[in-house]
Amino acid sequence: MYRYVIQRLLQGIIVLFLVSIATFGILQAAPGNPVETMLGEGATQLTQEDYDRLLQKWGLDKPWYEQYFTWLGNFVTGDFGQSMVRAGVPVHEMVLEAAWPTIQLTSLSLAFAILVALPAGMIAAIRRYSIFDSGIMVWASAGIALPNFWVGLMLIILLALYLGWLPPSGGGDWKHYIMPVFVLAINETAVLARLMRGAMLEVLGQDYITTARAKGLREYVVIVRHAVRNALLPIVTVVGLRMAFLLSGTVVVESIFAWPGIGQLFITSVNRSDYQVVQAIVVLFTVLVIVANIVTDLTYAIIDPRIRLN
Amino acid sequence: MSEDTTAIGRILNRFEGTNRRDFLKRSVIMGATVPTFATLLAACGGDDDDDDDDDDDGGDESDSGDPTATTQRSVPTSAVGGQPTPTEEEMTDDATATEDGGGGEEEPTATEEDSGGGDEGQQGGTLILMGHHEIASLSPDDAGPTVHWVMVTQIHNALVELDPWYVLQPTLAESFEVSEDGMTYTFNLVQGAPFHDGEEFTSADVKYTFDFYRDPENAMLTASNFNGITDVEASDDYTVVISLEGPNAAFLSRAGQAFIVPEHHHSAIGEDAYKSDPMGTGPFSVREYRAAEFTEVEAFPDHFRGAPLLDAVRERIVPEPSVRTIELETGEADSSVWALVTEDNLRLRDSGDFVTYQTSSVACNHFPMNNERPYFADREVRRALMYALDRDLIVDELWEGLAVKATGNISPALDFYYEPDVTEYPYDPDLAIETLENAGWVAGSDGVREKDGVRLEWTLAVIAGDQARRPEAEFAQESWNAIGCNVSIEDTTAASSGMRDGTHDMAIYNWTYGGGSGEPDGSNTLRSDALNNFSKYKSEQMDELLDAGLRETDPDARKEIYSEVQKLVAEDVPFIYVKYWDWFNFYNPRVKGLPDSVLSGGTLYSMAYTMWKEEE
Repeated sequence: MYRYVIQRLLQGIIVLFLVSIATFGILQAAPGNPVETMLGEGATQLTQEDYDRLLQKWGLDKPWYEQYFTWLGNFVTGDFGQSMVRAGVPVHEMVLEAAWPTIQLTSLSLAFAILVALPAGMIAAIRRYSIFDSGIMVWASAGIALPNFWVGLMLIILLALYLGWLPPSGGGDWKHYIMPVFVLAINETAVLARLMRGAMLEVLGQDYITTARAKGLREYVVIVRHAVRNALLPIVTVVGLRMAFLLSGTVVVESIFAWPGIGQLFITSVNRSDYQVVQAIVVLFTVLVIVANIVTDLTYAIIDPRIRLN
Repeated sequence: MSEDTTAIGRILNRFEGTNRRDFLKRSVIMGATVPTFATLLAACGGDDDDDDDDDDDGGDESDSGDPTATTQRSVPTSAVGGQPTPTEEEMTDDATATEDGGGGEEEPTATEEDSGGGDEGQQGGTLILMGHHEIASLSPDDAGPTVHWVMVTQIHNALVELDPWYVLQPTLAESFEVSEDGMTYTFNLVQGAPFHDGEEFTSADVKYTFDFYRDPENAMLTASNFNGITDVEASDDYTVVISLEGPNAAFLSRAGQAFIVPEHHHSAIGEDAYKSDPMGTGPFSVREYRAAEFTEVEAFPDHFRGAPLLDAVRERIVPEPSVRTIELETGEADSSVWALVTEDNLRLRDSGDFVTYQTSSVACNHFPMNNERPYFADREVRRALMYALDRDLIVDELWEGLAVKATGNISPALDFYYEPDVTEYPYDPDLAIETLENAGWVAGSDGVREKDGVRLEWTLAVIAGDQARRPEAEFAQESWNAIGCNVSIEDTTAASSGMRDGTHDMAIYNWTYGGGSGEPDGSNTLRSDALNNFSKYKSEQMDELLDAGLRETDPDARKEIYSEVQKLVAEDVPFIYVKYWDWFNFYNPRVKGLPDSVLSGGTLYSMAYTMWKEEE
């Protein structure tokens, strides 16, 4: 098992390298640079000489591969560099500062999704073809189909503008959490509910369930102890893999709800060509996804003894 | 200062021994206005940090029956440009609205321009503003992006500052004198203006700021504003003498408006740390700075113009324009410093629920085109493109009439410098075709015109997601294809750099070509060697005119020069100039102390210290 983990980690490092070089290349290919961003709307008096000096200051006058290897060299030694737009601020500080709001948002959303989706999927499977089942599945399809920025805006209009129950955006008390957590969770909830339903249906058709019932076990015990436990297997895998989707969802949700997390930092940094920050966030997300995958595989092996990690 | 009988001297002599109000009036006469703010409005198209769907706010010129009593329509033919629209004679000592806009430097009572008409200024309230991206820095060097500037201006002051009527107001300078040759400025500074830590502001701070900013070693973003300064001398605590390498009509507008940082603080912590720990003489000092979430500044009771009425100003970051609208509608925020989407602008304005300022842009909406491309190198082609484009239709249909058709590089809003008598290009596709035919561009087998193996074929770059300007680009594409061109549209993430580095053939930008806050100089966009000469337009005649314009300080003589500039632009068509659009700023009516009307809605945020908020 250790060998497996080490092997996966090594693969992860290669992935990380490829992702970082691709990100760097894309950023370089996109016109614009952080200097222009900071010059902002008042840059009309700039001379070429001054402009060149600014590029030089940030090493932007060097060829892209040289810039990349400078970055890589620093990164290997644990230095993410400084933001060019928030000049002088170490990137790791910015990312850490933004991490907490995002961790709050994603973990609450995930918890919400699991708490809602699993029972809903279970009930839909047990009461198959009932109105309840159809209702959940229609809702789940909608949850997958509706883009979260649209749902977010509609909710803001309804709950903040028309009803005045919740603040439209920003941080603060618990009321500020409701809409962003819900919106980020919608897609996840829908996916998990559908999956749970499918998994339960499959399990419920298995011989050992029939056996359990034949033994005279109470339906509750059959469902909870025999069916759910087995149905949870694919769910665990998916929850791990869905972390990546959840993180990408924060980019949109955080922008709409003015949530000062990593998603917003990411989009701000892309817009402002703040290479170092974008690079750091991409690397961070990649690491999270790689780790989530490995952890998922390990968890899978632990809860299903039939799986061997070789 | 000795008596001078030259035109420059006569004007500058007037500044001698003036009081603040006189200074103010005369800065109008001088045309002593500053590019900073119009460029705020300007760069939207070309700038990286824009919501490009935001920046095209139109204003309804055909105001349908004044939808709201609180809507203030600024007439485009007003005193933008700091020119004698209110003539010297007209500007009597009785304050006109324009004059008092400065907030009454010596007694900053908001009541002077109170929209409520006579309410007493009350103490209290937190003004909640919204920006669209994080406030990456609070240093004056980083005040280029509007969202930053709005907070930097609360914290700092400059020698002279632009007011919402495009007039330079004496701020940390009480008055100034200019030498006979126009190359030495002597500023007399205010006394008893403390920084936020209680240290008094003196000439040493001015010298320090100027010297630090213009030092190439420091590679400051705003270093260009200090070009042409040869020496800064603090002759005594309250006098600063600045020497220039030559007379420069734009000096006051540029370096004069530099925010002053305290030497003792800035030199101790350095520029990088200063970005998040700024200190100035401004009416508000930093209370809490969270770049990505909000920045809050609190009233500085010892501010030299008097304690601000508000308790605090907070700028929240709300990236999504629709959400900013809702924040305004729910009363969670008082004003959005960055634009909303056009539909929301019109809706909010017509709702009558907000104090609305609708002001004209001095930035030009235009298609820059690379004049070095063989097809655009032919002036007849550029002219033909003008004839082929129905710009009236763009204004009336695409912009719902919320713009003014451009006749050149200067907005008609700058009525003093605006030159209407130029070569015009009415919509006439037949004439466009004739122009091309006469120039030897004939249709090939596929209908695309060509000459000497060069085809009229190019790509028009549109910023991806730019919902506002894309229809305009598509309309232009159709119009030009109809006369035998082959234009394709390319989505780009680019801003100004695509044209600047020559990778794009053509784009659609909003940018100033002179006229920024009233300063008609367009050296940075029209000069052959200019960084922002997006169209790579090369004209010796233009270069000479622009240089002459900067050397000349007599407004009438300058007017002549910039009139020639506009004629030359219309003659040469270096870029396809389309229109000047309108800009909206909304305030929740609980914000008091607002003026009846302004010419620059953005600049009004610098007057937050004269506002207060009514309790609900």
